[in-house]
Amino acid sequence: MHDDDIKHPQAAAEFLQDRPHARWHDSAVWWVRKKRDAQAEKLPEWEQLRALADQIKAHTLSRLDEYLAEFANKAKSNGVTVHFAQDAQEHNTIVHGILAAAHVKKLVKSKSMLTEECGLNPYLEARGIEVIDTDLGERIVQLRHERPSHIVMPAIHLKKEQIGELFEKEMGTEHGNSDPTYLTHAARANLREHFLTADAGMTGVNFAIAETGGVVVCTNEGNADLGVSLPPIHISSMGIEKIIPKMEHLGIFTRLLARSAIGSPITTYTSHFHQARQGGEMHIVIVDNGRSAILGSSEFRKSLQCIRCGACMNTCPVYRRSSGMSYSYIIPGPIGSTLGPSRDIKKHASMAFACTTCGSCSNVCPVKINLHEQLVGQRAKAFDANAVPRLKKWAIQTAGFMMKHPALFDFAGKVQRTIIPIVPEALLKNSAWHKYGRATPDMPKDSFKDIMRKRVQGDKK
Amino acid sequence: MSSREQILNTIRANRPAPVELPDIHAPVFVHYDDPHQQFSTLVETLGGCAVYVNEGQSVLDAVKAHWPDAGQGRIVNLLEGNNAGQSHTELQAQSQSPHDHQNVDIAIVAGQLAVAENASVWVSNANLDCRSLYFLCQRLVMVVPRERMVHTMRDAYAQIKIEERGFGSFIAGSSRTADIEQSLVMGAHGAMAALVVFV
Amino acid sequence: MKVALFISCYVNELYPDVAMASLELLEGYGIEVEYPLAQTCCGQPLVNNGDLKGACQAEAHFANVFKGYDYIVAPSGSCVAHIKKYATKASKLDPNYVAVAVKTYEIIEFLQEVLNVTRLPKAVSFPHTVSIHQSCHGLRALHHAMPSELQLPYHSRLASILTLVDGIVVKTPERVDECCGFGGTFCMDEPAVSVAMGQDRVAQHQATGATYIVGADSSCLMHMGAIAKAQNTPMRARHIVEILTGRGE
Repeated sequence: MHDDDIKHPQAAAEFLQDRPHARWHDSAVWWVRKKRDAQAEKLPEWEQLRALADQIKAHTLSRLDEYLAEFANKAKSNGVTVHFAQDAQEHNTIVHGILAAAHVKKLVKSKSMLTEECGLNPYLEARGIEVIDTDLGERIVQLRHERPSHIVMPAIHLKKEQIGELFEKEMGTEHGNSDPTYLTHAARANLREHFLTADAGMTGVNFAIAETGGVVVCTNEGNADLGVSLPPIHISSMGIEKIIPKMEHLGIFTRLLARSAIGSPITTYTSHFHQARQGGEMHIVIVDNGRSAILGSSEFRKSLQCIRCGACMNTCPVYRRSSGMSYSYIIPGPIGSTLGPSRDIKKHASMAFACTTCGSCSNVCPVKINLHEQLVGQRAKAFDANAVPRLKKWAIQTAGFMMKHPALFDFAGKVQRTIIPIVPEALLKNSAWHKYGRATPDMPKDSFKDIMRKRVQGDKK
Repeated sequence: MSSREQILNTIRANRPAPVELPDIHAPVFVHYDDPHQQFSTLVETLGGCAVYVNEGQSVLDAVKAHWPDAGQGRIVNLLEGNNAGQSHTELQAQSQSPHDHQNVDIAIVAGQLAVAENASVWVSNANLDCRSLYFLCQRLVMVVPRERMVHTMRDAYAQIKIEERGFGSFIAGSSRTADIEQSLVMGAHGAMAALVVFV
Repeated sequence: MKVALFISCYVNELYPDVAMASLELLEGYGIEVEYPLAQTCCGQPLVNNGDLKGACQAEAHFANVFKGYDYIVAPSGSCVAHIKKYATKASKLDPNYVAVAVKTYEIIEFLQEVLNVTRLPKAVSFPHTVSIHQSCHGLRALHHAMPSELQLPYHSRLASILTLVDGIVVKTPERVDECCGFGGTFCMDEPAVSVAMGQDRVAQHQATGATYIVGADSSCLMHMGAIAKAQNTPMRARHIVEILTGRGE
């Protein structure tokens, strides 16, 4: 459903062609950053919370095998069936196996970036199972045959008029009515029918508690809760990194998650599931899919601490101006730009360069992932893997050579300074510098070094 | 080798140097002068409302005072004891199927703990078999003893127990979404409105 | 005190006035300043483009040129951030490099932290409204101000030193420390986003009523200045050392 061939600069330029829409996107997402700030300001212990969350996650990763085993054993003793999947394919096979055994025709799903990562929906649909995404934003992008453009606000790239037209076509809402309350309640009525007629419900996992074998799912809409409390089959899929050691640690993470994600003190529902509903069965699928390999990298390991709040996207000035649709990996923005390249540097190299290294993401991150440093680290991988354009690699290496040779370095600067003012500006119009609205800076006659060299020579005379 | 063993072996092989688990109880966290005030003000912004009933007054009366149309639809009241007001209530605590709750207008359930910092209420009720009640009802009433109030989630996790078939939830206000242009709309999939009754 | 001036590549080529103002400012406090002619680049553009081997060589060259000074001072937060924080792992393990890196200061940080200045060398008047641009690396790597994401007490080095200038009115823009979109080679790799960010930033600075954008990094100022120029707006971008030496007009 998504296109791995996307190159961020081109896709972003396309998104920016509709500048009013792009401006709206920027301010809508920035608004969430501001709401996050307002929540963080209310807690004098905010920075301590981030430090604790960082330490708990780092500790958990340092004993992940033990905690995962503890979790799986506890869950099993609670009566839950636990499955392990090494990759996306195995995950999809397991989920399909559970559904096929119970003759499931309709599955209702709450938001799960993991199932997006695994491509579960098309896999199940190809096998005759109807899959209904129930988070409102997810449902909107599912009906549009798009992928989510944000991990918390999947439809943030769309205007309400676009959604109004979609719902008119798909749910028969009134023509021309794009009032968000009206549309939301129309979707509520429409999706209630699906909840009541589904044969199985599936959720992602925000936190998995090793101590109790339970999983915690946070939503504002209540779709995860409805989805698993009605049908007899409950499946939750989780990455191996979702583990936390003890229940009490939720006292840190639930304070950070919604405040960072949406600028709300908590989600409406923070639900703890340890068993199936009465008469039902519960399954947990624990997925690796490349995560254990990232664990082995001292440089990128910290990306596994992510709790998927999306705050890094909201603060990222590049994300806000290019939208999630411009990134090749299913998770966009700063965190996606390290996770994607960790998975496949050749496919996702352009994401590592879609960053000014401003560092705001690392500062908003509730678990203190050094995101901007990881992106620069991914660039080194891209350079070594020849995943940067050849001309660019040549230019970089030439520059590096000149840096070691001051005379050459100075000469190159002089050429640039003397030639640019002579070349008519029209000739430069299509350069990357000028194309979108930057003028040529005034070029001085002499460089500082020229001036100082003359001064030294003058002194000698 | 099973996938479980494969995954655990790779993790073991890639295990980072040990990092200590921090003591989460050491730092001083926010403390509200009036946690009830904090709760009541906040819950309003989350699509909820907090009211107080006094001795002799029933919860059901408080619900009807808050929603004058209450009683026109189906009410399920799970409360036990003196202040429940059960004589006015359709007593249908134990449903046969979770789908039976689909036409419930108002559900009245016990909440065990309220959290001042985020206006959430912990619900986990041993006498409820069908947790769908919390989410299918149109309006949710959570009844909490007024002394059962804590300041932060750290305090809350020190006190809660999972009583209900492995299930428990912190519920803060009504179901809501802002997925269309960041416009906040109350009533996504769960309850359209929430009422917290302190007794 | 033996101080060396490190002038980054684009300041050397495009903003000799900024370099001259830095020299004059330091000399104004009675410091003996040397400008080693063999200096080139800190290596930041190479690291940012993934060429760690090339960067490491540039960093070794830097350490070699600047060893033996008490302090190395540069009018560029971004380069100093690279030297002190973002250099290659190999250089960070090289004691010769580290010895130079710890003595390297961004000029405003040097004036405030090392010299503890409370006045300017000569009285300067700048009767204009200026809007402060916090460049990202100076802000988040060198703590020029408290970044808006962190919940810690606010301070701003640039605002505090500008109080020494007569007649100046100092403003801060909406989104107090949003990136301008320069980002080194990002400005060429991602020109559409880079310019969009820069246009928004110039507009936010302009909305304060200021006619000057003042910052401590010529690269960001070049980018915003070029956008303001292309838009024919009266907004001008000035390095803070130009203001502090009376060259801002």
